[in-house]
Amino acid sequence: MRKQALSGILGVLAAFAIGAFVLALQGFNPVATYGALLQYSLFSGSGFTATVTRAVPLVLTGLSASIAFASGPVNLGQPGQLVMGALGATLVGLFVHLPSAFLVPLCILASLLGGALWSGLAALLKRAFAMDEFIVTLMLNFIADYFTLWVITYPLFDPSAMSPMTRPISTAAWLPDLGGVNTTVLFMVLAAVVCWLVMSRGRSGYEWRMTGQNSLFARIGGCKVDRNYVRVMLVTGALAGLAGGLMIMGGPHRFVKGLGANYAWDGIMIAVVASNGISGTFFYGLLFSALQQGAIGMELVTAVPSEFIDVLQAVIVLVVVAGRVSLSIVFDRLATRRKLKESAG
Amino acid sequence: MAGGVLIDLQHITKVFPPDTVALADVSVSFEAGEIHALVGENGAGKSTLMKVFYGLERRDAGTIFFRGAKVEFRTPREAISAGIGMVHQEILLIPEYTVWQNIVLGAEPVRAFGTVDAHKAREAVRQKIEEFQFNLDPDALVGDISVAARQKVEILKLLYRNVSVLILDEPTAVLTPQEIPQLFAELARLRDKGHTIIFISHRLDEVLTLSDRVTVMRRGKVVGTSAASELTKEDLARQMVGREVLFTSRRQPQEPGEIIFHARRLNCSDIEHRIRLHDVTVDVRAGEIVGVAGVEGNGQFELVNAIMGLAPMTSGTLEVKGKDITHADILTRRMLIAFVPQDRGKMGASVTASILEDAIMTHHILDPRFRTWRGLGLDYRHAAEFVDQIRDQFTVSMGHSSDPFSSLSGGNQQKVILGRELLLETPFVLMDQPTRGLDVGSIEYVHQLLLDLRSRKRAVLLVSADLDELFIVADRIVVMCQGEVVADLATDTTSREEVGYYMLGGKEAAHAETGS
Repeated sequence: MRKQALSGILGVLAAFAIGAFVLALQGFNPVATYGALLQYSLFSGSGFTATVTRAVPLVLTGLSASIAFASGPVNLGQPGQLVMGALGATLVGLFVHLPSAFLVPLCILASLLGGALWSGLAALLKRAFAMDEFIVTLMLNFIADYFTLWVITYPLFDPSAMSPMTRPISTAAWLPDLGGVNTTVLFMVLAAVVCWLVMSRGRSGYEWRMTGQNSLFARIGGCKVDRNYVRVMLVTGALAGLAGGLMIMGGPHRFVKGLGANYAWDGIMIAVVASNGISGTFFYGLLFSALQQGAIGMELVTAVPSEFIDVLQAVIVLVVVAGRVSLSIVFDRLATRRKLKESAG
Repeated sequence: MAGGVLIDLQHITKVFPPDTVALADVSVSFEAGEIHALVGENGAGKSTLMKVFYGLERRDAGTIFFRGAKVEFRTPREAISAGIGMVHQEILLIPEYTVWQNIVLGAEPVRAFGTVDAHKAREAVRQKIEEFQFNLDPDALVGDISVAARQKVEILKLLYRNVSVLILDEPTAVLTPQEIPQLFAELARLRDKGHTIIFISHRLDEVLTLSDRVTVMRRGKVVGTSAASELTKEDLARQMVGREVLFTSRRQPQEPGEIIFHARRLNCSDIEHRIRLHDVTVDVRAGEIVGVAGVEGNGQFELVNAIMGLAPMTSGTLEVKGKDITHADILTRRMLIAFVPQDRGKMGASVTASILEDAIMTHHILDPRFRTWRGLGLDYRHAAEFVDQIRDQFTVSMGHSSDPFSSLSGGNQQKVILGRELLLETPFVLMDQPTRGLDVGSIEYVHQLLLDLRSRKRAVLLVSADLDELFIVADRIVVMCQGEVVADLATDTTSREEVGYYMLGGKEAAHAETGS
């Protein structure tokens, strides 16, 4: 755990150094660039709140991927599960008329169910026909994408709009800003805490993790690995669905074309960088959000194009993942040398 | 006979990270034209030493001389082209290819345009078989021949590449007692033709019968090298273990109780509809240890899987303590059966998990003390106490319970698994090769545990490839051959030779004896 944190911090610093080198090579001032980046993401009130709000879909899809990968199922369907969750919340928000206290939980529930439905479909295909969830969830992403596009282009199309989108959902389902920070952040923190409790303190989390590491061992130990597989798929689908629902309820309050963007893919990337740890996913989610948020400011202040942040993110992924392996090799070498000295002395 | 120093290993040191010293400043020399045995317990470093020499493992310090010159083999291919060949414990051949095809594979004689000259290759192999009198059919499919014959193919594969030094890593481990003399005769013949043979073993009788000189290793160090003629079995054992070793059973006479485990006419087939178990019937009574003997691959693994519910049976019934578990799920079985599988890393534990996580498996379901928050939570504090209990009761030498399972030595890993399973306190205990890969000290410990279970009136089914082990602890030995139980023998009235005879299926044993 401590080694994880150390290699993560070293990796991020090294990635920033590489980024600075790339900037300098292009004739930009790295100090000014990073300054603007931090200014617009962390060290200004509006920047910080925007960073935290932007982190919601990144962290939630990241948690979804982390839990799935740590438990065995290769669920790569977060993009599809996200838009299906968003559709669930949209449907309830459009057609159910209740006061906030009932409508908000109902919309949340609908988004969880929308995501779980989509991952559950993959789980069903796996159980019935032994189809690998790896490919099924990937393919279901396309179906979800075009299905939701169809829904917002035809049946739920807002006639007053120029591009495909639905009408706004009932204002009772809107999640308000509290001191600049959107309430969706509370749901993200709550979800992260629950995920941590389940994975690190819960009986099911223990079984899931053991199954992910060695499913034969877990099965012989009496764990119901098939049942656990379905549960993990449903839970991780629900998490991605929640990300979509919160994006509707906190943001544009309607399903617009291109809503999911790259958030879910970034979430999967975050899970990989965090090596499927819950707290790691949370922090990397915030970091990547800060980078993406700061990119906007960086482009405003300096001449550096915001695409530079894509490069920096990729460098962070590579350096952190490679650093984790090489650092453990370094630790091994050091231990070997110590042992050699001991046995010689 | 011996012709001066051929191989000289000087000050070899090898550390497996993080802190396992596999070889600590080891120096040994091997003479030309001798059979030199390298003996020691599992983990003493004998295989590692030979792998370092052969280019399979990197060393951290030391020098290697071959024919007087300093050498450095980076891969086995380089070692083979220098005239050194190693036969590993696992046989690596292609079952669908014939004997000659396997032998020439990788060094085929080719015609112009690169096509294999099959006629020439087959002829060359036939000549080698004749030259070394190996009694092999070059056209037989490797999948159809016995394990002993496959081992000959491995040796011939190296002789075909004109090696003069042969390293054999525990070659007798896969053979039955009847097949061993034939291998030894062939090795002696090779030596007389001028080959040098390095023979890794931990079976003392064999070492003394076959070798000219013996080097004993213990815990990564060389204890000494002596002429085999000057040694007794007791000397060797003392050097290997560092203390006196008892070769006799401490099994006290005891009248077994009621039938606890009852398997009746078990049948199962593999995916290709080949029969793997045929009408297997086994009973184990309370306070009784029943051993399952057999050449590996004769249905033992399938029997274990059938008992644990890991593979479906086509027919038959299973009962433990009067409860029918024929169609029960694994969890139901685990309430009645403690299970120590043969492969620690695959079935017995998760090597990437922590000691604690591996130690509480199954208990976390069956034992309510592991539950918190109305069953949703896992009580990690109780789990840590449970690990302490295993550590104290089973004398596990370990660091913190959150350390990775892989930080434990093989013996301690097995102790954690044994502790976990035996603390389930089930009436029936199934053990599959529980001492494989352990050092002599740990093996003695496991045997003592087995005998304790017996005196505590548990029913134990012990699958083992080690006949010595079965004779030490088992009351009865059930012999399996080609998926059938071919004999059920009382240990006190049978002999290793009789068990070996049935392991080969009786009829085939007679054939093998007259075969050479």
